[in-house]
Amino acid sequence: MITSALRIFDLSLGQMLWSRRSVFLALLAGGPVGLALGIRVILLLTPAQLPMVNGARMSGTAIFGLIIWLLYLRFIIPVLGAFYGTSLIADEVEDKTITYLFTRPIPRGAVLVGKYLAYLLCTILLVLPSAVIVYFIVTPLGGGSIGEQFPSLLSDLGMLAVGLAAYGALFALVGATFKRPLVVGLVFTFGWEPGVLIFPGYLKHATIAFYLQALVPHAMPNEESVVGGILQLFNEIPPLETSLASLAGITLVALWLASRATQTREFVLDQ
Amino acid sequence: MAAIIAADHVSKWYGQVIGLNDVTLTVPPGITGLLGPNGAGKSTFMKLVTGQLKASKGAVTVLGEPIWGNPSLYFRIGFCPEQDAFYDRMTGLEWVTALVRLNGATEAEAAAMANRALDYVDLADAAGKKIGAYSKGMRQRVKMAQALAHDPELLILDEPLGGMDPIARRKTIRLIKEWGRSGKSVLVSSHILHEIESMTSNILLVNQGRILAEGNIHQIRDLIDEHPHTVYVKADQTRALARAFLSEDDVLSMKFEDGAVIVQTARPDTFYARLTALAASGELGAIHEVTSPDDNLQAVFEYLVKS
Repeated sequence: MITSALRIFDLSLGQMLWSRRSVFLALLAGGPVGLALGIRVILLLTPAQLPMVNGARMSGTAIFGLIIWLLYLRFIIPVLGAFYGTSLIADEVEDKTITYLFTRPIPRGAVLVGKYLAYLLCTILLVLPSAVIVYFIVTPLGGGSIGEQFPSLLSDLGMLAVGLAAYGALFALVGATFKRPLVVGLVFTFGWEPGVLIFPGYLKHATIAFYLQALVPHAMPNEESVVGGILQLFNEIPPLETSLASLAGITLVALWLASRATQTREFVLDQ
Repeated sequence: MAAIIAADHVSKWYGQVIGLNDVTLTVPPGITGLLGPNGAGKSTFMKLVTGQLKASKGAVTVLGEPIWGNPSLYFRIGFCPEQDAFYDRMTGLEWVTALVRLNGATEAEAAAMANRALDYVDLADAAGKKIGAYSKGMRQRVKMAQALAHDPELLILDEPLGGMDPIARRKTIRLIKEWGRSGKSVLVSSHILHEIESMTSNILLVNQGRILAEGNIHQIRDLIDEHPHTVYVKADQTRALARAFLSEDDVLSMKFEDGAVIVQTARPDTFYARLTALAASGELGAIHEVTSPDDNLQAVFEYLVKS
């Protein structure tokens, strides 16, 4: 199974990296870089200064934390997971190339796992460098030290990779199970997760964002700012160990179920 | 002689629609043609015997084993699907190599097998070209190459001649016959009796989800001769071709479409033989594509049912 999955990974990685979807991915991952550059240019060209929060001037580190929370954690990671994860098999079915993979001596489940691994590497290769670039542009603002904050950057990168793995696996399951997987994925991302997180109780345990936010090394933005006030609605954060174990569990179980669904489902191609 | 493919009371439904209805048959070793008009159930049958679909009822076995959920059987089977679908950014060699690697071959072994297969289908010269730049006939042949590269015992070909030019068509028919003569088996589907008959006399006739007849069917051959057969010929010099066709008494009518001439002939065998000779001589320019619409066979089936 693993050898077969690696062969599919090998075949799919190049296809995925040079697909039209990757242009969208690059634009999405480039968004925070553009924003960081914009902030930097504005501060260079105008006498404007970083905003005051709680009587103190905001630092570049805090801005980086805000970008991680708001852009990467709440938007880029789940959206990428939804767009890529749901299409792992659906794209091959739509292009009618799935026949070539399903009539080879490899288990169908391995096709899904191999494509998932290709998705993971492809998105990691694009998202993590984007976060690193943003870090180098933003952190020095207001006198922040790149070296001092470097360990927290590594935690951020780890969190992003874990997030891509968990969302990708969950949406791979959605893609292998539902007829309109992208719609289901977007409803989960923009409806279910933010909706459930603001309510007290146990429903939030049925989200990925709940566990993922425990891995963010930056403090959640302060509640006195508007953005911080919104984020405080989600401020129940589980212990790190629980989060890691839960995310690993979600990833493995979702991937196993997706692989099972691919194994048993018939894929009828349009004539 | 053990059956290569066996279907035991096999039915397949797509929701309320019946794709195949209670089919029981055995396919012997050698070359077998699956013949039927569009929507007859050929594609459903091909998908069932290649394990892409699971029978709603009954059992399908290939080379003595159930095919559904049995990936190891694909070491012994090569499948050339009907759909014109590829990873267009890859070259022919890259694509065939990548697919053969899925059979467990190393990169070097896969590349050697792919080169051999591309050579076998006369695509060695175009092996380094992107598939996206291939003509329809070349795309058909590269599909054949991926199916036979791993030297399977059973080759399953779904409409393999569609869109090929006359020369490629003749070569492909020869290749399929050679494959059969080498002791291997081939199941080939088509909606054109003339094509199937040029490869084998062992035919399965399928219509409306049922197998109408199987075996060596001479009567069908005679019947089809009584019906006009339409051929679409895409070529550089359609007017010159039309003039050449007009001098023959088997041509009943002709009309022109954008870059093509559509001919109705009373004797398809004679017509195809002449067309192939014209293409080989090159005296009337290149002939790019020869196709025959599905309604040829539909007319014969309707005639059969009436009589």
